[in-house]
Amino acid sequence: MPDADFLLTVTALAAASFFCRVGGFMMMRFLRITPRIESALKAVPLAVMIGIVMPAAATGRVPELAALVAAGVTMKMRNNELLAALAGLVVIAAGRWMGL
Amino acid sequence: MTCSRPTFSRAGVRHGFLVAQPMAASVLLYGAVFGVLAGEAGLSSLQALLMSALVYSGSAQLAALEIGVSAALLPPLLFAVLLLNARYLLYGAALRPWLGATSPGQAYATLFFTGDGSWALSMKEYADGNRDAGFVFGSGVAMYLPWAIGTFVGHLLASWVPDPRALGLDFMLVAFATAIGVGAWRGREDWLPAVAACAAALLCHRLLPSGWHIVGAGLAGAAVGAWRHRDA
Repeated sequence: MPDADFLLTVTALAAASFFCRVGGFMMMRFLRITPRIESALKAVPLAVMIGIVMPAAATGRVPELAALVAAGVTMKMRNNELLAALAGLVVIAAGRWMGL
Repeated sequence: MTCSRPTFSRAGVRHGFLVAQPMAASVLLYGAVFGVLAGEAGLSSLQALLMSALVYSGSAQLAALEIGVSAALLPPLLFAVLLLNARYLLYGAALRPWLGATSPGQAYATLFFTGDGSWALSMKEYADGNRDAGFVFGSGVAMYLPWAIGTFVGHLLASWVPDPRALGLDFMLVAFATAIGVGAWRGREDWLPAVAACAAALLCHRLLPSGWHIVGAGLAGAAVGAWRHRDA
């Protein structure tokens, strides 16, 4: 059974998520989403993914860095996230197996 | 006999649910990936399922795993979820003309189930002249179910892997985020926000408590994105 700490955390995150889902719908009564706000929001997903990757990239050794390149290049070529992530895993597993 | 509004019909729900099925298959796969990642981050299968069923946002859940799902980390967690799901403000605003004609209960239930894919489908459907808001609900549910089910199944499958680290599974979150980031890349206009996000992530990772580097990167990207915007 999930503990109280987890349940509290997930409930709070769910509330934040739901707030965003209904917020724009409710806001439309008295606010307009400007192109500038839209431009800011569109930059968020890429920026957050960079946020997830950077610490690993900064502290990574050869297998980790090679895996990042493999994932990025595969995504560029095949445009399939799952395939790209798997390519990264293959490279890192191979690198670790070779003891790099 | 309940009052059946012409703008939200059962047939519309079914139609939306069916039209969204091709997309639902890929959502199942993504859900499974999240299940694997959640297991890797130490969540139980029930915890992973609860998270997908309640938060229901892939990118926000990935960020939450990177930050760490515990009440002590709620400030950066909440910030990250709000930041990543802020795009739903756009989605909801765009759905206003359509959902505004339904009852509040129908509208809020529909918004709860709305995902990136079903929203895009719905906007296309609205442009094609469909005014039955049941479509938005049905297509949303068609995304929601495979996301939750996929999460649970993915977690179960990953728990059978004997040595996750040898397979590089501990790196899967980063590899997946890399792929999503490369996929989100639109062109030259992304360079500055991306550089700002890199710098902010590294700086925050070094200087701030755990988890804030995600928020810092997102805010920096958004700020540069807003600053770079030129009114057309």
